[in-house]
Amino acid sequence: MLLDADDIAMVFGGFRAVDGASLSVEEGGIIGLIGPNGAGKSTFFNCLAGDLLPTEGRIRFAGSDVTRATPEAHARLGMARTFQVPVTFEDMSVADNVMVGAFLRHRHRAAARRAADEVLAFTGLDRLADSRAGSLGTPGRKRLEIARALATEPKLLLLDEALAGLTPAEIRTAIELVRRIKARGITIVIVEHIVEVILTLAERAVVFHQGKVIAHGAPREVVEDPAVVAAYLGHHMKRMRQ
Amino acid sequence: MITPGRALAIVGLLAIAVWPLAVQDVFLQRVGALVLLAAISASAWNLLGGYAGQVSVGHALYFGIGAYAGLVVYTEWGWPPIAGAPLGVAVSATLAIVVGLPTFRLRGHYFSMATIAAAELARILAANWPLLGAAVGLMGPPRPRTIADLSFTSPVPYHYLFLAVLLALLGLTALMQRSRMGYYLAAIRGGDRAARSLGVPVLRYKLYALLLSASFTSIAGTLYAVMVGFVDPDSVLGILVSVKMIIIAALGGAGTLYGPLVGATILIPLEETTNALLGGGGTGITYIIYGAIIVFVARFQPGGVAALWRHAAAWRARRAARGTHAA
Repeated sequence: MLLDADDIAMVFGGFRAVDGASLSVEEGGIIGLIGPNGAGKSTFFNCLAGDLLPTEGRIRFAGSDVTRATPEAHARLGMARTFQVPVTFEDMSVADNVMVGAFLRHRHRAAARRAADEVLAFTGLDRLADSRAGSLGTPGRKRLEIARALATEPKLLLLDEALAGLTPAEIRTAIELVRRIKARGITIVIVEHIVEVILTLAERAVVFHQGKVIAHGAPREVVEDPAVVAAYLGHHMKRMRQ
Repeated sequence: MITPGRALAIVGLLAIAVWPLAVQDVFLQRVGALVLLAAISASAWNLLGGYAGQVSVGHALYFGIGAYAGLVVYTEWGWPPIAGAPLGVAVSATLAIVVGLPTFRLRGHYFSMATIAAAELARILAANWPLLGAAVGLMGPPRPRTIADLSFTSPVPYHYLFLAVLLALLGLTALMQRSRMGYYLAAIRGGDRAARSLGVPVLRYKLYALLLSASFTSIAGTLYAVMVGFVDPDSVLGILVSVKMIIIAALGGAGTLYGPLVGATILIPLEETTNALLGGGGTGITYIIYGAIIVFVARFQPGGVAALWRHAAAWRARRAARGTHAA
């Protein structure tokens, strides 16, 4: 198992945003985390990335216990992530943003530059390399976040709503990029509330509802699951269908 | 390659190097030395406040430690003041870790406020500590005993001493800027959370930047004590000492190599001229100038003079592109 999160709970005050959720990720493949807004996907995701310290549970990644590890330790171990709202380094150029990621594995500037150039070409950002990151639009920034994360040479890439806010055409190019990343042998966990994206992209889907995992399996089967339909549409709609 | 920026830097540094020989007026020579001294402390502040984006308003702490260290080694052991520089650096570096570890967990304004508190604490302590001369302060050697006292009536030797230190600092900064540390500091300025997600050990690099910054600020303080020969709590530990470093760096361009030097070249002559014209009663004018500069830089050009230069370079590039297009 590449990633093993066991019985994670995240409690804010009296509110259990994540309430005993587990997730196992094998090497290779794309796993989708779906669920309605407020289901606890993003909180769970931030626990996995080391941004939040879970109240309960244990997380193992690539053979080490990372439950209490810092975000930078996660990056060193080979877990990279993007953010729901992109946080690129606005005043730096696109290439320099990617350089920051590349310096994790390459101590020297020339080697980091070569690694960054390769990632820029792979993500199609090479033409924008000298632009200021702050001058990019949302699709460009989301792509830059992915490029920066790839430059850290991860085993596992966590994508937090990497496709939200994109037009259908932009979603198609983003999906194509995610597939090419997978082809490089990088395992991907993607959080998404657009179910169609998970249906086309993921090999396995995990459905969150009220802080718990209510279903997991092949995406097509999962979305047919009555519990999942109920979570998305509410009990009222379920009765109407009957 | 000789870019317009590099050419300007070479011409500027050459002009600074020949300044005290070109002007024979002692007042102008003294202004030149003071510009360099201010450029050293503002460039040192710039390592943390500019490159890493951690705006310290308490760098007077390190400046004051360096200044007092220079005169304490003289009053206690009779050493030449410059020999206090290593002591000042050692104490500053230690205090930098003590102040840095808790305050770096604070963000934005809270960090700035905590640094003010640390410097004010040191000022009050110095004003009540007999070893440091309490509120009266300390005096250096009344007349030079040996050359090692570095006590000269002419400002010219100071000019070259300060220039050597400034060049060493700028050289080190240029190396850092191109290394992993330069990229990591820029990432920290861009945002802690994103930097950490890319494996940047944020706290460790903030401490590296602070250690370098505090050490050179302390050296600037010792150089001040060597030249002026007198320190008291307000002149080396007062909040205006910190504010002046920030204004100079911001005016020239925080987070750029030559920004602090450019800022010092503008601000110090202005300040010295108003002081000379208006005499002791005119020192208040300095504060009005500081205030006006803060308002103008914040309102019209947060990037300082360096940003104006970048805009001009971008404009030239666009014009050149249009030129080749038409041809």
